[in-house]
Amino acid sequence: MRQKFADYWKQASADWNYIFRNELRNIFKDQGILIFFFLVPLAYPLLYSFIYTNEVVREVPVAVVDDSRSTTSREYLRNVDATPDVRIAAHCKDMDEAKATIRRRDTYGIIHVPDDFSKRLARGEQTQVSIYTDMSGLLYYKALLVANTEASLVMNARIKTALAGNTTAEQDRVTAYPIAYESVSLYNPQDGFATFLIPAVLVLIIQQTLLLGVGIAAGTAREGNRFRELMPVDRHYTGLLRIVLGKGAAYLLVYLPISVYVLGVVPHLFRLNQIGSPGQLALFAVPYLLACIFFAMSVSLVLRHRETCIMVIVFTSLPLLFISGVSWPGAAVPDFWKAVSCLFPSTPGINGFLKINNMGGTVQDLSFEWHALWTQAVVYFFLTCWGYRHAIVASRRRYIARYRRLRARHIASAQSRTMNGTLPDEAAAAGPQ
Amino acid sequence: MKGLSAILRIARRELRRLSRNPIYLFTMVVAPLFCYYFFTSLMAEGLPAELPVGLVDNDRTTTSRSLSRNLDAFQMTDIVQTYPDVSAARKAVQRGEIYGFFYIPEGTTGKAQRQEQPTVSFYMNYSYLVAASLLYRDMRTMSELASGAATQSVLLAKGATERQAMAYLQPVVIDTHPINNPWLNYNIYLSNTIIPGLLMLFICMVTVYSIGTEVKSGSARHWLSLARGSMARALAGKLAPHTLIFTLMGAIYVCYLYSWLHFPCHCGVPVMLVVMFLGVIAAQGMGVFMYAALPSLRLGLSFASLWGVISFSICGMSYPVMAMHPTLQGVSLLFPLRHYFLLYVNSALDGYPLLNAWPYVAGLLAFALLPAVVLRRLKNALLHVPYLP
Repeated sequence: MRQKFADYWKQASADWNYIFRNELRNIFKDQGILIFFFLVPLAYPLLYSFIYTNEVVREVPVAVVDDSRSTTSREYLRNVDATPDVRIAAHCKDMDEAKATIRRRDTYGIIHVPDDFSKRLARGEQTQVSIYTDMSGLLYYKALLVANTEASLVMNARIKTALAGNTTAEQDRVTAYPIAYESVSLYNPQDGFATFLIPAVLVLIIQQTLLLGVGIAAGTAREGNRFRELMPVDRHYTGLLRIVLGKGAAYLLVYLPISVYVLGVVPHLFRLNQIGSPGQLALFAVPYLLACIFFAMSVSLVLRHRETCIMVIVFTSLPLLFISGVSWPGAAVPDFWKAVSCLFPSTPGINGFLKINNMGGTVQDLSFEWHALWTQAVVYFFLTCWGYRHAIVASRRRYIARYRRLRARHIASAQSRTMNGTLPDEAAAAGPQ
Repeated sequence: MKGLSAILRIARRELRRLSRNPIYLFTMVVAPLFCYYFFTSLMAEGLPAELPVGLVDNDRTTTSRSLSRNLDAFQMTDIVQTYPDVSAARKAVQRGEIYGFFYIPEGTTGKAQRQEQPTVSFYMNYSYLVAASLLYRDMRTMSELASGAATQSVLLAKGATERQAMAYLQPVVIDTHPINNPWLNYNIYLSNTIIPGLLMLFICMVTVYSIGTEVKSGSARHWLSLARGSMARALAGKLAPHTLIFTLMGAIYVCYLYSWLHFPCHCGVPVMLVVMFLGVIAAQGMGVFMYAALPSLRLGLSFASLWGVISFSICGMSYPVMAMHPTLQGVSLLFPLRHYFLLYVNSALDGYPLLNAWPYVAGLLAFALLPAVVLRRLKNALLHVPYLP
C-alpha cells in the first residue's frame, strides 16, 4: 500500500515537473507570449506614467473681456492671472472677439467683467463676473473655476475688511473669515491625474497581459495539435491536478518578478504615492495573482485560435477600468454593472491595491477585496479543473472513437485483402493518423 | 471595367470569409454594440449624486448641526455616517466606505462667537479623483456659507436687508457657464470619445486580422491573383465590405447618441456621420499601414492594440494634451482618435462648421491614404513573408 502511494507520488511529481518545464519552455519560445508577458508589463507602465507625469494642467489660456476697465476690474484680473491654473492669453474688446479665440482653439474660456463692476462695488452692491468655459475637457472647467473663485475670495476679503473699519490686522483676519477652513487632499497631495489613474492601470495590466499570454499559449497548443485539442497526447498529460497546477505554477513563477516590478518599482520610479508596507502588498498580491492566473486559464479554455484572444481581450481593458470604481465613482456604478464587475479579479485587485499602496491600509482594512480575491481564485481554480477534465474526457473519447473507426476500416480492408488476395494498399498501411 | 469586376469578386469573397469566422461577427457587431450600451448605461446618471461622505462633529452645537444638515442637503453629498474622531473617519476612508469627511473641531461655535477665528477642515480622498473633485465644490461652498452665516446673522440683526448683507458677505460672485454641457454630464464628456475610440480599435484589429489570416491560411496568392496582381485593387475589394459594415456601425452609434440619447450635437447628425465615416476609413488606413509595417499577424495585432489603447490617454479627452510633455503633444497627432476628438469638439460640441477644423479633416484623410504609401511593401510581405506563429 505504502509502496503504491510512493509510486503514485513519484509519478505525479515527475508529471508535474514535466508539465511545469514544458509550459515554461512554451512561454520563452513564443515571441507572441513574450510580448504580452514581458514587453507590455515592462513598457506600458512607463509610457502611461510619461503621459500623465505632469499630473495637473497649469496655465490654461483664457480670453478676457473687461467692460469695466477700472482699477478694481484690473486688480481682479491680475489676481486671476496670478493663479497657477490659468493664464490670460488675450484681452478682447467684446464677446464676439473672445468667442473667435475659442473657435481658433487659442483659448479655452472667457472671463467677462461687466461694465458696472466697480460702480456696483463702490455702491456696496453685489456684482457678478461671468466665466464661460470650453467643455471639451473637464480639467479646463476646473482650472477656470478654481482660479476665479480664488481671485474673488481674495477680493471679497479685501472689500469686507475695508468696510469694517477695523484697527488691527488680527481683526481684519477675523472679519474676512469668522470661521476659517482648510481643505486637505488625502492620499494624493497634488490632486494629480497620474497618482489617481496609474495605480489602477498597473493592476489591470497584470490581469490583461496574463489573459492575453495564457490565451495565446492555449490557442497555440490547439493549433499545434493535429486534432485541435488543448492537450498533447503524452503520458505526462494525464492527471488533472498535475496539468492545472503545473501550468499555473509556471505562470506564477513568471509573474512574481513582473508583479514586483509593476506594483513596486514603477510607482517608485515615477514618485507616485507609495505608503503601503511591502509586506502587506506582497500578502495581497498572492491571491490577486492566483485569481488572475486561474481566471486566465478558465478563459483560455474557450479560445480556439492564437490571435482571436487579442481581438477579444484587448478592448475589455477600458470597460474593466470603468466598472472597477476608480475613474467613475464606485458609488455611482449601477447595481447591475457592479454585480458584473465582481466576476473579474481586476475589480477587487484595483481597489485593494489602491487601499494598500495609496492609502497605507492593511489587509485587515480590505476584508471584502481579500475575500473576493480568494473566492475568485478558488472558483476559477475549480472551473479550470472542470474545463480541463471536460477537455481530457472529450479528447479521449474522440481518440477512442477514431481508433475504433480506423480499426474497423483496417479489419475491413484486411478481410477484403484476404478475399482478393492482393497486397495492402498505401492508404491502409499508413495506419492510424 | 475589368478592375471594378475584380474588386467586386474580391468583395464577394471577403463577405464569405466574414460570414464563416465568428470572430468577425463578434468584433464588428457584437462587441461594438456592447460598448455602446455599456458606457452610456454605466454613466446614465450623468453627474454622480449622493456620494457618501462622513462627518466628525466634535463641537456638538446647534450651529455645527445646522452646518452638517446643510451639507447633507447638497445634491452631490450624502452624509452616511458620523464618526467620533478623525482617525475613525480616516479608517473609514481607507476602507472605501466614504470619499471624504468634514471635520468640525471642539469649540468652533464658541471661538466664532469670541471672534477667535476657528478652523473647520474637509478631508477628501483624491485617490478617487473624480469623486473627490466633485465633493470639493460642495465642501468648499459649505465652508464659505459657514463663515458667512456667522456674519450674516449679526448684519441682519443690525437692520441690514438681505441684499445688503449678501453684498457685504460676497461682493463678487462668480457666475459659471460651462458652454454646451451645462450639466457637467460625464456621459457626454466621456462616451463621445471612448466609444468611437473602441470602434476604431476594432477597425484596426479587424483590418490587420483579415489581411494576416490570408497569409496564415495560405490564401494570399489566390487573393492577389483575383486582383490580377494589383495590390490596390485587392485591398479595395477586401476592405470595402468592412468599410460598409463599420460605417453602418458608426451610423448606429451616431444615431443612438445624438438622436436617441440627445447628446448635444450642434452641427446636426449628418455632419457627425461624415466625421464618423472619416474616422472609419482613417482607422482602416492605419490598420493596413500597421500590417505593412510589421508583416506578421501577431506583431500587427500587438501594434494595433498598443496604438488603440494608448489613444484613449493621448487623445486628450480626460487629461489635456497641452499638459503633456512637448514630445507627446506632437506624437498625439499620430493617433487618428486625436483628430476625431478635435473634430467632435469642433462640430458636435461647439457647433462650428466642419471646415473650421479642416487640418484634422485632412489628418484623417491622410490616415485613410496611408496604404498608398505601403502598397509595394505590403505586396512583398504577402508574397514572400511566411506566417510566423
